[in-house]
Amino acid sequence: MKALLSWIKDFVEVDVDIDTLCQKLVGIGFEVEEVTYLGENIENVVTGQILKIEKHPDADKLVVCQINVGDEVLQIVTGANNIKEGDIVPVAKHGSKLPNGASIKKGKLRGVESNGMLCSGEELCITDDNYPGAEVYGILILDKNTPIGVDIKPVIGVDDYVLDVGITSNRPDCQSILGLSREVAVALGKMIKIPEIKYTTEKTTNIKDYVSVEVKDKDLCPTYLAAGVKDVKIAPSPTWMRRRLKAVGLRGISNMVDITNYVLWEMGQPMHAFDHKDICDNKIIVRRAQDGEQIIPFDEKTYTLDNDVLVIADNNKAVGLAGIMGGKNSGIKEDTNTVIFEAAKFNRENIRKSSKKLGIRSDSSARFEKGVNSFMTRLALARALQLTQQLDCGICIDGMIDISTETCDKTKLTFKFSKIKRLLGISIPKATVISILETLGIKTTINDNLVECVIPEYRDDLERDCDIIEEIIRVYGYDHIKPTLLNKASITCGGKTQCQAEIDKTKEILLGLGCSEIITYGFFGKSALDKLTLPDDSELYNLIKIKNPLGEELSYMRSSLLPGMLNVISANQSRSNLNASLFEFGKVFKPHSLPLEDLPTETETLCIGLYGNGNFFKLKGIITAILNEFGCELDVVRSKQPFLHPGISADIIINDDIVGYFGEVHPNVAKNYDLGQTTYIATIDFDALSKHFNKQITYKAIAKFPAVERDLSVVVDDDVAVGDLIKASKENIYILEEVKLFDVYKGNQVESGKKSVSLSFRFRSENKTLTDNEIEKNMKKILGALQTKFNAKLR
Amino acid sequence: MLNDKIKELVEKCKSKIAEVKETSATELQKIKSESLGKNSELANMMKCMRDLPGEERPKFGQMVNEARKLLEEAFAEAESKMQEKMLHDKLEKEKVDITLPCDMTFEQTRGHLHPVSLVTNEIMDIFKGLGFEVLEGPEIETDYYCFEALNIPKNHPARDMQDTFYITENILLRTHTSPNQVRTMKKKQPPIKMLCPGKVYRSDDDASHSPMFHQIEGLVVDKNITLCDLQGTLETFAKALFDEKTKTRFRPSFFPFTEPSVEVDLTCSNCGGTGCKLCKGTGWIEVLGAGMVNPKVLENCGIDSEKYTGYAFGMGLERIAMIKYGIPNIKLFFENDVRFLKQFR
Repeated sequence: MKALLSWIKDFVEVDVDIDTLCQKLVGIGFEVEEVTYLGENIENVVTGQILKIEKHPDADKLVVCQINVGDEVLQIVTGANNIKEGDIVPVAKHGSKLPNGASIKKGKLRGVESNGMLCSGEELCITDDNYPGAEVYGILILDKNTPIGVDIKPVIGVDDYVLDVGITSNRPDCQSILGLSREVAVALGKMIKIPEIKYTTEKTTNIKDYVSVEVKDKDLCPTYLAAGVKDVKIAPSPTWMRRRLKAVGLRGISNMVDITNYVLWEMGQPMHAFDHKDICDNKIIVRRAQDGEQIIPFDEKTYTLDNDVLVIADNNKAVGLAGIMGGKNSGIKEDTNTVIFEAAKFNRENIRKSSKKLGIRSDSSARFEKGVNSFMTRLALARALQLTQQLDCGICIDGMIDISTETCDKTKLTFKFSKIKRLLGISIPKATVISILETLGIKTTINDNLVECVIPEYRDDLERDCDIIEEIIRVYGYDHIKPTLLNKASITCGGKTQCQAEIDKTKEILLGLGCSEIITYGFFGKSALDKLTLPDDSELYNLIKIKNPLGEELSYMRSSLLPGMLNVISANQSRSNLNASLFEFGKVFKPHSLPLEDLPTETETLCIGLYGNGNFFKLKGIITAILNEFGCELDVVRSKQPFLHPGISADIIINDDIVGYFGEVHPNVAKNYDLGQTTYIATIDFDALSKHFNKQITYKAIAKFPAVERDLSVVVDDDVAVGDLIKASKENIYILEEVKLFDVYKGNQVESGKKSVSLSFRFRSENKTLTDNEIEKNMKKILGALQTKFNAKLR
Repeated sequence: MLNDKIKELVEKCKSKIAEVKETSATELQKIKSESLGKNSELANMMKCMRDLPGEERPKFGQMVNEARKLLEEAFAEAESKMQEKMLHDKLEKEKVDITLPCDMTFEQTRGHLHPVSLVTNEIMDIFKGLGFEVLEGPEIETDYYCFEALNIPKNHPARDMQDTFYITENILLRTHTSPNQVRTMKKKQPPIKMLCPGKVYRSDDDASHSPMFHQIEGLVVDKNITLCDLQGTLETFAKALFDEKTKTRFRPSFFPFTEPSVEVDLTCSNCGGTGCKLCKGTGWIEVLGAGMVNPKVLENCGIDSEKYTGYAFGMGLERIAMIKYGIPNIKLFFENDVRFLKQFR
């Protein structure tokens, strides 16, 4: 919300400097986003009267002027030809600055001394809105009554500040100069001065003879007021009004239109002015548009409407999009003779929806969306008529059409005084509470423990006790709050959930093994998933689509962490980062139905990626380390995931449950992601995995009897998995504590297509020392099993 | 007659292709140039065309071209099959025994937590000590939990505060971690001390915004909870996270789900409050939003607002990390360059 300081001063005395004012506003909850001094960079420019103009002795196009600037007479050479002796003009003296960045110094022009410069409107960065004639080519000629030798800034109306104030959405009443002035008054501890709104009407006329109004959809238009002005003289509005409109970003158009804009800004009530002769049968109807009905508003585009859009219409046609923009067919023109002013309250949600749907936003729709107040409609319409009279634009027709389903009575709110302390934790004296609320316009009495407040009509946001308490503390000051640390609260235990603790523990292991954590976006593009070369019916393609994504690569909720990981690895490789061990914990999303009918399953997933110094068995080591930490055994089988190298990949199996897969990235996939270096990845459904975590710790007695170790080397076919040999050895042998691989040999010493596998076995019994005999028996059993299952030969 | 000759030629060539060993790319290339090259029979036939009577030429030419096309396709198919086979063989050859033991030789250097996790952990540790339990909620939320129950009705201007990604009319990506306030309060009665970290999403992507970022939400609901407790809690938090000298300042603000609502500034950790570039000379940095839980929200969650009061706060974790570590740009968090990651110990 842009506000001009001088405009605010119409309503409240501001006796502090601009910085203090801003600080005080911030202190009561109004963030001042920007302060602009309109006369910024105009320095040492004064008004001066031209005493004499002579030809330049050496230049045809230059003249030499003698200028009275009050305390001295300056000789200035200029090329302008729109000046005459006696004119009062802006004079940039020696050492002056202009908004275009120029600094003026004295010097000689074609041999003649010149002690400054006469300025045009353009050089002062002003337009006709600031000063009549500012846009003419040549020097700005000031009014002949302008005092001589004074600073130019007040003369052209730029000795003023524009404050851009952030208004929170609960305070639509502050979307106006008046509303903001109320808060300025509160901030400065002043009283707001609301000038009396007075105007006279021609008693022999009656608005009802000019127009009748029918509101068909009262739910969308709870209040509709209309008033009229006849014998209108359309003309430019006066400079003071144009200056104010310009300062807040509006252009002067014509008096009647400017009045509606002025009132919008000053009172926060959007208004509209119709040309009476364009309203067919003198009848205004507020109704929903017919499906397919068309309208051309001021922006001159054609819009096709539907039944949800509210229009202002006459008997024949729509003449305006209610609350959004007037129709081109009924606007104010040069020859407009009678004007009908509209001040209404339209339904906030409906305006918001319609303006969104049609793609038109205006100052007016923006105000309606934030919410206007029926009480203000009457005030605003009266103000418009007052300005009409003040600007001598026409004759006010007697009467006002007022169709309203809303009462604008002040509401009462009562609550216990003790609630203030209960919520804030500090005591505020009753007298202070009353005086704070009074400055806010809230009439307050406190009897015993009961606070009774009368809420002003314009404060729709004050609904219950906590709203009032907030008003009290924001004015009283948050610096009165004394910190306490929950000393009257119950004792609670706190801490993390088991799942979070498990994730933390897993992260610790990963960090210990040299892996760093990454975080990627929760959404991805389908093209990133396509790179995994999955079959079309892969469940990873059950994607949840975002309706309004910011781009293809952010358009689906991720069904896998792999694309994110591979993109990060690819980026690191392309930046010549030689190696990386990375992991990510994140949610992947699985819909129960598409389109979504309920919330999808969000599965906690762990993804690991290595390149540079990683290999398959390192990755396996990382996974094993995690599983061991939670008392789980890793089982692997060759994976059929298409994005993994078929010979260097495995499914991660815990208790016959596949919880993930890992391995080398398939060369085709590596190419798709632009991976130059061999990359290893793992992805684990952490929710599925954690179900297998062995959470119970039960002490087992430490073995008392010694262990016996034996080695065994067998030759088997090359494609026999060592893991299978180990598993087979363990079967049915209870005293076998551990089996370890210590060598795999392929080469000259064994037949081609075969390998020699050397295993070491550790036996131990819980209740006795094992004899050689028992060991030999068991070793034979093991060899026998390996022979029958794998055709193993003792080496 | 000529037609047959061409047919025969095509067949002959195709059978040659079939005979090529699956791995001999050079042989296939040789047959290709023999069959389609400048001196191939097909090329010679084309040259003979000028001897034909004018009216037969176009038909003949068309036939030769068709034959050429057929052969080119046959070669392409053979080539791609061969490549597939070669890749398959290569992968087969590279096959390892996946059951072999792990390689447990790792780098001596420890890995690094992502800075967002680092600050999250630090903050959680502070609040865990105050008896807060950590509860997480879904990233995909319903309109009800994300807005409606938090006193942000549909089409209310307060919705403009957060640009939302929608999935359906009623399902969306949470724009803040506040829906977890509602989820927690619906699940249990006070006393509640809850902390919720997590990813949030906003349709906002420019130099200083990321469409996904992290927040942490705190909620306390109990008897006798006051604004003084909020101030005390946040002051403790600020001192623990930054340093003992850090001060907090409340500024009035508005959030639909708290009343009163405040923005909370901390003394600038860079200059200690004397004013610097980071704090734009003010000595204060805006760090979080907070307030007393709006009784409407308590009531929406089935908690007696006459009996209980509460406070809630929420902050952006990237923002905290940026202040704490001097990270200049939010985009760096999600590029995950290892040279960035390894700076956080």
